[in-house]
Amino acid sequence: MPAASGQLVVFAVASFLALAFALLMVVQRSPVRSVLSLVVTFFALSVLAILLSAPFLAALQIFVYAGAILVLFLFVIMLLNLKEEAADEDDRPVQRTLGLLAALALGGLLAGATLRAPAPGGVPSPRLIPAPDEIPALGRLLFSDYLLAFEALSLLLLVAAVGALLLSKRKFE
Amino acid sequence: MTGTLPGVAPMAVPPGAFLVVATLLFAIGLAGALLKRNALSIFLSIELMLNAVNLLFLTYARMRGDLAGQMIVFFVIAVAAAEAAVGLAIFVALFRVRRTVDVDKIALLKW
Repeated sequence: MPAASGQLVVFAVASFLALAFALLMVVQRSPVRSVLSLVVTFFALSVLAILLSAPFLAALQIFVYAGAILVLFLFVIMLLNLKEEAADEDDRPVQRTLGLLAALALGGLLAGATLRAPAPGGVPSPRLIPAPDEIPALGRLLFSDYLLAFEALSLLLLVAAVGALLLSKRKFE
Repeated sequence: MTGTLPGVAPMAVPPGAFLVVATLLFAIGLAGALLKRNALSIFLSIELMLNAVNLLFLTYARMRGDLAGQMIVFFVIAVAAAEAAVGLAIFVALFRVRRTVDVDKIALLKW
């Protein structure tokens, strides 16, 4: 089926880009380059979200993550004028190997566990994803079942904005 | 694991592939959080881990044909935005006092 193989190709390219630029983000010493490679990873992740029939969240991923959060990171990095991490001065060899080992072990464990996990059982949810119009269904759900969480979230965002303003006022020292 | 629930539209890409990509991304983010010294880079790695979990939620939502998984991702993204605002403000305040965001040098509460 041509549509299916097309999706496979898109999946392969997007997941390769996501993983490669995530690795680049970790290997990179310059914080600005780290942020920029994470932008590519987030774009690739939003392509994967479209493949999973979540177009609204794919758009949100680009608007909020790549557009707002990472730009905020870039602003702060340039404001603080951060330089590259020094390469040789006390390179913490023990922590480096231990951290790498821990990450590899956890990654292997999680990959194995998710692959062995039984497929979701039971009955399909009553909120089945309607193929052509997920977004209206998502909006209806947001303003009915999740209304309280939604309102709490708007309060949280307000508190975070006020808190960030207070924290960055020049009052310490 | 492959396949979706009966009654849910089948997927062209096996869902196990999405799960493996998500766990690999999570492991890469963990490696970054453990290995980086710059507090901002550690924070970036944590954002990557959040995104890996979001991908996992979206995959399971698709497998179950359930919009609740997409809803959780919506909330995670919004909370991550709040967290980034407050966290970056803390780093700016910290930088004003200590002139560094190197977590090896900010060890006042370490021992």
